[in-house]
Amino acid sequence: MTTYEAELVEVDDSPEAILDLLAARGMGDGLPVVPPTRERVEAMLEHAEGDVDEVLFTLQPRAGIVTRRVVAINAVLAGCPPEVFPVVLTALRALAQPEVNIRGVNATTHPVAPMILVHGEIARTAGFSGGVGCFGPGNRANATVGRAVRLAMLHVAGAKPGFGDAATHGQPAKYTFCAAENLDESPWEGYARSRGVDAPSAVTVHCGEGPHNVHDAEAAGDPALILDKIASAMTSLGMNNAPISQAEFFIVLGPEHAASLAQRAMTRKDISSYLFDHARIPHHVFKRHFEERAWTQWMKIAADDHPLPMTAEPDNIRVVVAGGPGKHSLVVPSWGMTRSVTLPLGG
Amino acid sequence: MLVYLPDSAPGPELSTLAPSPASLAGKRIAVLDNGKPNAGVVMARAARTLAARTGAEVSLITKKGPQGLSANAAIPMAPDIFDRLLVEADVVITGAADCGSCTAYSVHDAIELEKAGKPAVVVTTTKFEPIAVTLSASFGLPEVRKLVLPHPIGGTDEPTLDDWADAAADRLISLFTTGS
Repeated sequence: MTTYEAELVEVDDSPEAILDLLAARGMGDGLPVVPPTRERVEAMLEHAEGDVDEVLFTLQPRAGIVTRRVVAINAVLAGCPPEVFPVVLTALRALAQPEVNIRGVNATTHPVAPMILVHGEIARTAGFSGGVGCFGPGNRANATVGRAVRLAMLHVAGAKPGFGDAATHGQPAKYTFCAAENLDESPWEGYARSRGVDAPSAVTVHCGEGPHNVHDAEAAGDPALILDKIASAMTSLGMNNAPISQAEFFIVLGPEHAASLAQRAMTRKDISSYLFDHARIPHHVFKRHFEERAWTQWMKIAADDHPLPMTAEPDNIRVVVAGGPGKHSLVVPSWGMTRSVTLPLGG
Repeated sequence: MLVYLPDSAPGPELSTLAPSPASLAGKRIAVLDNGKPNAGVVMARAARTLAARTGAEVSLITKKGPQGLSANAAIPMAPDIFDRLLVEADVVITGAADCGSCTAYSVHDAIELEKAGKPAVVVTTTKFEPIAVTLSASFGLPEVRKLVLPHPIGGTDEPTLDDWADAAADRLISLFTTGS
């Protein structure tokens, strides 16, 4: 077993001193942090399941080494309560899967940030929110897990703005972007189970844009109109889904929209198929805008006036329920050359 | 108080540049195009000018996707293109490294070529040189040969690109024959 021992340094016992230490070394996200003392890191590692200094994987582009202790240090800095540690580790393990292309995700000029979705028991036992305002402020588990993942990107993966991260603007979701699935109010089976991950708890990562809101008040009484509005939010030529056909969309349905669709006997697959069919742009428009199109072959040979979908297949349109009361849903487009990953929770 | 530092050691395998040829005379130059706007235009011109100056030949101009039919700048070059470069070229000009993920993968491709014995120059721009420098070090080969052009390559007219490409010949000769 290869191991790595994290380095301890002496610092004055004040909130400013630890911020100064990080700033001097080009670290941190700019916000106050909790000092990662040996005691706090050990408390976090109470929730780890293996050797705490074992080298588990590396994160690109810096190829920084990940051990359970390195994850715990960043989780303490972010303010995580110890019981969320396995979620942070599982999210990082997911981001290190080759299909995520984390080297590209971190280095790109695009403002991509990993969205972290928490599924199953751990959401309840560790206090994650999948209800009202779940992608907003106010819940410690959601806020700090997303932040811990970002701190690991900065410190371990080397995604430092201007160096390992070339994002032209970045985006607020690069500070934190995490919520639980609202399984209690979902009309369908859990998302992780629908992807073949049959575990009590699981974590999904999807590297994409910030959420685009879709408001449909259902005043006209036709649930199809919810999906038509979602389709309209999916058909932007400015998003990377347009020239990259393997790119996924995550559709985060608010529970009220989900219930209305389920009342019409719509399954998750029906929703994906409807959106695949309706989120379309004529071939010639794509061609005018993109000299290079990373498309699956059948799309390339279509007639010029044929309306082509925004992604190569319905299964690339992923449906999950989260949020609280209200007639809103979210579209989360992809960075493009990346795939989402769902893993069972593991410490 | 004692606190842990939150970064860890970077763990790349260190590699070295391929041996540099003493001269480019008689050598075969390939252009590996990642499909970024104008990348092919400026690199093909630079390769032709370089060939004319040195007695080399331009043996292959290809996009980096499968069969050279397409390119996606945010992933590595296709394996069949890598194999072709090994057979059909002595040195390679690749890019454009004028965005984030395309810089990461241009540097990655160049290192794979260097490891296979083919000197490779990454064409980047003044605005993305710092990213190229950081990523070269991160990927284990800080010395990656880099040609730094003005910014931006995409959106600049062809006569200007031709001027930049022609003016780069001396720099390319130095990069290919001395590594710096």
